[in-house]
Amino acid sequence: MSSWKSILLRIGDKSSEYNSSDDFKDHIETCFGALRRELAHSSSEILSFLLQCAEQLPHKIPLYGTLIGLLNLEDEDFVKKIVEDTQNSFQDALDSANCDRIRISMRFLTALMCSKVLQPASLVVVFETLLSSAAITVDEEKGNPSWQARADFYVICILSCLPWGGAELAEQVPEEIERVLVGIQAYLSIRSHTSDSGLSFFEDDESGGDVVEKDFLEDLWERIQVLSNNGWKVESVPRPHLSFEAQLVAGKSHEFGPISCPEQPELPSTISAVAYGKQKHDAELKYPQRTRRLNIFPSSKTEDLQPIDRFVVEEYLLDVLLFFNGCRKECASFMVGLPVPFRYEYLMAETIFSQLLLLPHPPFKPIYYTLVIMDLCKALPGAFPAVVAGAVRALFDKIADLDMECRTRLILWFSHHLSNFQFIWPWDEWAYVLDLSKWAPQRVFVQEVLEREVRLSYWDKIKQSIENAPALEELLPPKGGPNFKYSGVNGQEKTEQEQAISSDLNNKVKGRQSAREIILWIEENVYPTHGLEITLSVVVQTLLDIGSKSFTHLITVLERYGQVIAKLCSNQDKQVMLIAEVSSYWKYNAQMTAIAIDRMMGYRLISNLAIVRWVFSPENVEQFHISDRPWEVLRNAVSKTYNRITDLRKEVSSLKKSIISAEEAASKAKADLEAAESKLALVEGEPVLGENPAKLKHLKSVADKAKEEEESMHDSLQAKEALLAQALDENEVLFLSLYKNFSTVLNKRLPDASGDATLQSLKSIHGDSMAVDLEELPTMEVDDENGIAQKSQSNGGKATNNVGEKEQWCLSTLGYVKTFSRQYASEIWPHIEKLDVEVLTEDAHPLFWKAVHSGLRRLSNEL
Amino acid sequence: MASLFKDPTKISAYRDRRFNGTQEEFEQALLNSTTVYIGNMSFYTTEEQVYELFSRAGEIKKINMGLDKNSKTPCGFCFVLYYSREDAEDAVKYISGTILDDRPIRVDFDWGFVEGRQWGRGRSGGQVRDEYRTDYDPGRGGYGKLVQRELEAQRQLVDYGAGSLGSFPPVMPPQYGKHGGGHGHGGSYRHGRDYHRKRHRDDDRHGREASKRNSDHESRRTSDRDSRPEKNPRFRESGDSDDEEEEEEDRKRRP
Repeated sequence: MSSWKSILLRIGDKSSEYNSSDDFKDHIETCFGALRRELAHSSSEILSFLLQCAEQLPHKIPLYGTLIGLLNLEDEDFVKKIVEDTQNSFQDALDSANCDRIRISMRFLTALMCSKVLQPASLVVVFETLLSSAAITVDEEKGNPSWQARADFYVICILSCLPWGGAELAEQVPEEIERVLVGIQAYLSIRSHTSDSGLSFFEDDESGGDVVEKDFLEDLWERIQVLSNNGWKVESVPRPHLSFEAQLVAGKSHEFGPISCPEQPELPSTISAVAYGKQKHDAELKYPQRTRRLNIFPSSKTEDLQPIDRFVVEEYLLDVLLFFNGCRKECASFMVGLPVPFRYEYLMAETIFSQLLLLPHPPFKPIYYTLVIMDLCKALPGAFPAVVAGAVRALFDKIADLDMECRTRLILWFSHHLSNFQFIWPWDEWAYVLDLSKWAPQRVFVQEVLEREVRLSYWDKIKQSIENAPALEELLPPKGGPNFKYSGVNGQEKTEQEQAISSDLNNKVKGRQSAREIILWIEENVYPTHGLEITLSVVVQTLLDIGSKSFTHLITVLERYGQVIAKLCSNQDKQVMLIAEVSSYWKYNAQMTAIAIDRMMGYRLISNLAIVRWVFSPENVEQFHISDRPWEVLRNAVSKTYNRITDLRKEVSSLKKSIISAEEAASKAKADLEAAESKLALVEGEPVLGENPAKLKHLKSVADKAKEEEESMHDSLQAKEALLAQALDENEVLFLSLYKNFSTVLNKRLPDASGDATLQSLKSIHGDSMAVDLEELPTMEVDDENGIAQKSQSNGGKATNNVGEKEQWCLSTLGYVKTFSRQYASEIWPHIEKLDVEVLTEDAHPLFWKAVHSGLRRLSNEL
Repeated sequence: MASLFKDPTKISAYRDRRFNGTQEEFEQALLNSTTVYIGNMSFYTTEEQVYELFSRAGEIKKINMGLDKNSKTPCGFCFVLYYSREDAEDAVKYISGTILDDRPIRVDFDWGFVEGRQWGRGRSGGQVRDEYRTDYDPGRGGYGKLVQRELEAQRQLVDYGAGSLGSFPPVMPPQYGKHGGGHGHGGSYRHGRDYHRKRHRDDDRHGREASKRNSDHESRRTSDRDSRPEKNPRFRESGDSDDEEEEEEDRKRRP
């Protein structure tokens, strides 16, 4: 990298480029000196790199802004070009709804204003343009309030500029900025409060009663008001332009042309709640809320900063996470080295966890945040691991209220995190969960973390890792071997005959008989005498046993003998039996159960509907609140279905693109041919084809081929579209079946529907009245040192989970209803009419109804 | 994203010498492939562990464990094939350099699995890197193969008598600093523990074959465990030996 580049890139960092100085004024002078020398011969290169830096390192924007202000004194045209380019990319971003670029462009413009490159009035015009678009959107008559997500986003962008330039604006254009703020206040009074209970981390957020939690915009507005009352002082935003003010005032301000916001989509022609809800869903997909604050720590840890500093630091952190995804070293070093004069480990942890747990989806896969947390633990070994542990403890304390999806992500993250740190954790702190009921969320959490740890490692290792709380062994999964009915040991109750069939089959497979031969053998010799149940059991168990050695062995057996299974399990009833057999064979190994079922669905030996039916079979339903096992299988089945649809959509869209180019090629070839033909005709006065028959023939064949190509593409597009349509129909059936099953099992167990049923009231029903089998209760471990018993007592106050079994079952299951609805909302919305008619009827329990609706983020006042 | 610090054109420093094609074709293959190569694995790591970890980056289509040409047991590398390119990219971004089975693993784009690539390319059957290593790495069969042969030769020169050496820890001091830990268990401990654990797991699964293999292991353990790599007991050998052909066939079709 040439030196000016690395100087530009490293500005503000403590680095060798700047002799480890951390004085921003020095940095700017050094960098300015380096750029000035290069400006004459690499100005366009500098321009594009500078803009790139400002976009991808937005926490350094004040430094880049000042630098550009100084360059403005040297080379006005260069800076004029910067302003023009910024304007173009800003307009593009507005048109294409590129939220990050809109937000960062506006901060950049603010910095340019601070360094006198732009007039404050130009910036105010930008604000007013966005604000008036927002105001129109939420106007019921002229606009389309279902697009409030975009309007809110625009207003958030305006407010977000103020920490960077509020002081300058208030000083230089006090009336104009006041006008903008008044406008924002007016906007806030028209818009409706966003109560996204479907996206909150904690279940109790929604039932706070009279206290309505502020939404993101209301919260930011309040922070900005405090800032304004504070004389616009922000500790977390560097103001390097102040050191150069005397020079900067001499710079020429550049024009910033008008920008325009895209029109909001028309209101649906038929105004119905459903159409409105669909539009709102689309708008929220395009303009998602960037973050939700997750308050994990006591406020003493984070709230000693000014309210606005918290917002600014979050912005910094989120931008580093966004732009340095995939660059581990830089990501960690920017995360820990932000240009702020205070410590922020707690805030950093809260911000990362808020992303890891963000609903419906984090911007990146959860494993990314896992990696960031690991790297920060290594970068700040003295501080961060303790903060992470504190976060885990705090979340663990509130786990009963944590959203189900968040619990699953937390389990996956925590097990993975520990696997990178030798599985060290003070498990004795949590040993008291053994005294809780087996459905207590904290106990289930510990059990599922241990399950995942074992999968990432091995049983004995994890056993060893809990040696400070040996009693927890009770929560370890079984050792994981297969449960083969026909192993011939342990005097199983299986008859010798069945045993013999199994070993016959085993020999046939070893003898490399074909699937056809085996099918024939079964049809002639096994099925007629033993009937379906026994045949299915022996064949499936034996094949699974042959494929039990590894994932690859399983795949091999399924590929070679899948047809045998397919022939035997030809309808849904039999497929459900097949799944039950798989689950029985792998009853000691949840991972292999999930994998085997997943692969069988992959080979289309079982349908997703069969899986749903099996998941809702009585023995699984009983597990809903105490194990992830059925849910993992269900998650896999729905996600595989979704992945198939996504693949088909991708194929369709890429085919459409190739068709366009194929059509172009075909019409060009045709035109060439016609041109050649007409040319001959003209030259001779009559069509004589003999002049250059070779060339003509060639052109003809090219044209024919292109036409053929085009036609065959149309054919394959048609075929793919048919497949996609079919897949979407099947998806509708899948979700209907899923919801019907949920509704049925919930109706049976939820207390009688009363109008004001809430989750809180469910939680307050205690288990005392429930008949609980004494055998089911965990036996108290009598520990020699009394350590465990004491621990459990001291924690007794905290772990007030004495929710009854049935109530916990309902809470967990409703949590999953919400999770599936939320995760697949985009797939469910197209089928909403059908869902309303068939599932969300008057008979549906209000709590079920509410779970679906909040998952889909369908507001009740729209109905 | 993050284009400032990363050269997007430089996708892998490693060039597979067995790739039939030009450098450009090789790079093109890497850019489009949905396969990743995983290196520096423990010989004991199972496909299911790989599955659990790598499925966190996306849905896995296939896993091909790298095997020792001679012993047909895992020799410390594997290929994971994803359904989507994006997931493969995420595996490289987020898993490379993290820990699996106590070891930092390496994850790189791979140009795609073809039959034959599952075998170690070292002279002795394993990976080339395990030929020349001089450290003692209990997760990868002890010493490097060359050192092992040397020790074997020494032992034959000086007749220590069978069985006497088996109970002693390795002759050279193990280098633990490298793979993390900081936990004071010695090499022989880990060795022994893994050995037993895997045997248990095998016993659970294949009671019928276990006795035969156990006696095999036991004799090896007492006679020459210091010089020869231990047979990997975590590898669930089938004994029925048509695995290779199976592996070849199962590649023809995909789910």
